[in-house]
Amino acid sequence: MVENKDFLPEYCSRPTLILGCGNILLGDDGFGPEVIAYLQAHSSFQEEVSLMDAGTGVIDILFNIALSEVKPRRIVLVDTMESGLPPGKLSLLRLEAVRARPLRTYSQHYLPTSTLLKELQEIGGLEVEILVMEPENIPEEIQPGLSPKAQEAVARACEIIVINYFRR
Amino acid sequence: MSNKIVIQPVTRLEGHAKVTILLDDAGNVSDTRVHIVELRGFEKFCIGRPVEELPRIVTSICGVCPWSHHLASSKACDAVFGVEPPPAGRKLRELANAIAFTEEHILHFYFLAAPDFVMGPAAEYSIRNVIGIAQAMPELGRRVVRVRHLGAKMLEILSGKSIHPVASVPGGFSKALNPEERDRMLPMAEEVLELAKFSIAMAKKDIFPKYLDVVKSLGVIKTGFLGTVTKDGTLDLYDGVLRMMQADGTYEDFAYDKYTDYIAEHIEPWTYLKFPYMKKAGKLSMDLDNPVGVYRTNTLARMNVCERIRTPLAQKEFEEFRSTFGRPVQLTLAYHWARLIELLYNAEHALELLKSPDITSKDIRVPVKPRAARGIGCTEAPRGTLIHDYETDAEGMVTNVNLIVGTTHNNAPINMSVRRAAMDNIKGGKYDEGLLNMVEMAIRAYDPCLSCATHQMDGRLPVKITILNPEGKTVGEVS
Repeated sequence: MVENKDFLPEYCSRPTLILGCGNILLGDDGFGPEVIAYLQAHSSFQEEVSLMDAGTGVIDILFNIALSEVKPRRIVLVDTMESGLPPGKLSLLRLEAVRARPLRTYSQHYLPTSTLLKELQEIGGLEVEILVMEPENIPEEIQPGLSPKAQEAVARACEIIVINYFRR
Repeated sequence: MSNKIVIQPVTRLEGHAKVTILLDDAGNVSDTRVHIVELRGFEKFCIGRPVEELPRIVTSICGVCPWSHHLASSKACDAVFGVEPPPAGRKLRELANAIAFTEEHILHFYFLAAPDFVMGPAAEYSIRNVIGIAQAMPELGRRVVRVRHLGAKMLEILSGKSIHPVASVPGGFSKALNPEERDRMLPMAEEVLELAKFSIAMAKKDIFPKYLDVVKSLGVIKTGFLGTVTKDGTLDLYDGVLRMMQADGTYEDFAYDKYTDYIAEHIEPWTYLKFPYMKKAGKLSMDLDNPVGVYRTNTLARMNVCERIRTPLAQKEFEEFRSTFGRPVQLTLAYHWARLIELLYNAEHALELLKSPDITSKDIRVPVKPRAARGIGCTEAPRGTLIHDYETDAEGMVTNVNLIVGTTHNNAPINMSVRRAAMDNIKGGKYDEGLLNMVEMAIRAYDPCLSCATHQMDGRLPVKITILNPEGKTVGEVS
């Protein structure tokens, strides 16, 4: 039988998982993946942290974590959320705070996962936090590229992640 | 007074769906409409780009089956450049395809479809989900996810990354597999095969017999089928000819670059998603009693159109499937059974490819030169036949793009199956959660990209049902 160490993905085996969520083809929806790319390019290696561009495939990863014997202790989702704040504004939220808001205001790829995250937190014993950016432009048709406000927020989001989750 | 029931998922993943059920004066179903919203503007976005970029870009269309788009796009680029990958390059693509199929089919069966069957279609939504499976069958849950991890690891070894693949390129594959990597993958592939064998045996023993009545009645419609086979009719998920089968079982084979001679697209005013249909039928009619031009793709279609499967265990299962149901099989829920046969085939095929001597060859790619051309690439994706059609100018810049994806092929039959399920399960205006789940199950059998959206992890019904009168006034709600 293949040993766990030979195949277990980093996103299960490292204590902290940071997931960049969103579609890079849909304007500010690509914020999460952009933050992951920035961190990978500008931060030092962290053996306790797994950085992952989940794109539009986050549900797949969360399904796997839900059933996996080995799980991270903490999941941080980096995403966009429309909540009426000024564009580019960042908020680091507990899952409970996100769930208190109306579902229809979430960005499209993130929507179906909030309840699974809740189950992961309650049954799986994981901590779930969400770093969200207020988007300026999420087009209905394909139009890649962040707005200037979202682009400015990328480095600030990385700073929040480094301060809160990286060992220094 | 006629009423309208709207089933609208609160959430969505890759696009979203809304089901509208129109009731007549007696409270019976008079019509249904499944609205699927897809990512729009992709074709326009591609124009003016170097065509060799497309295999990398298309993986962002859908986070659910990126490998299928990646490979269909690579094949379209091969055709644009007028090249054929070397045998080992083709085998590496096929290997990636086979592994990705096993991952997808395991995901669908255990995470999306199985909760309906294991927990029962009428079970409360709070337990009819993946967490319910984990709690009811923890050992199986762990085994399933272990094999999913193995699949992802194999794709990573093979191509460097599994989520947004870039390894397949015009002219072949960009990364050779060395013997050490092959040796690491072999025991992983063996374990995937063991789960595939277990899954179909378990489903045949514990699941399908229990729900045979549902399988034989839910969402059943009569249509034609489309799928890929080799010239001698053997199932092939990577390459071959397209076989269009009529509902009576007669069929015609055609090269996939002739698809516009055989497939036309119908437009309905209430949805952006097109309705492909058999061009030779002259028109599309989704009339349940007398459908015209409707065909289905995906696992059941592939089992119907092929004569045989090249791997021994899947062939044995295929023979049993055919002797049980005949040909063509019209039962919508038989998609699940067909999916498990394909899971087995792909697990066997991956192992077979890994054991082939030239899989570690370094001759995996041929050079390409831009030219003005049209190139069509076609593969079978987990969700159905996938066609990428590109045109370029002399510099190799894209001038035209057309895509037909699996879920789009199935647009008309999904609508028909939902109408059949709704008509059979909603009588006299009466319905409940279990009955409405039957409608969802009819959609889920096709494994459309909206599967996840209609199966969110909420502890309640994943849909919002609004009953409206003809003036649009809400007269009732269920949520």
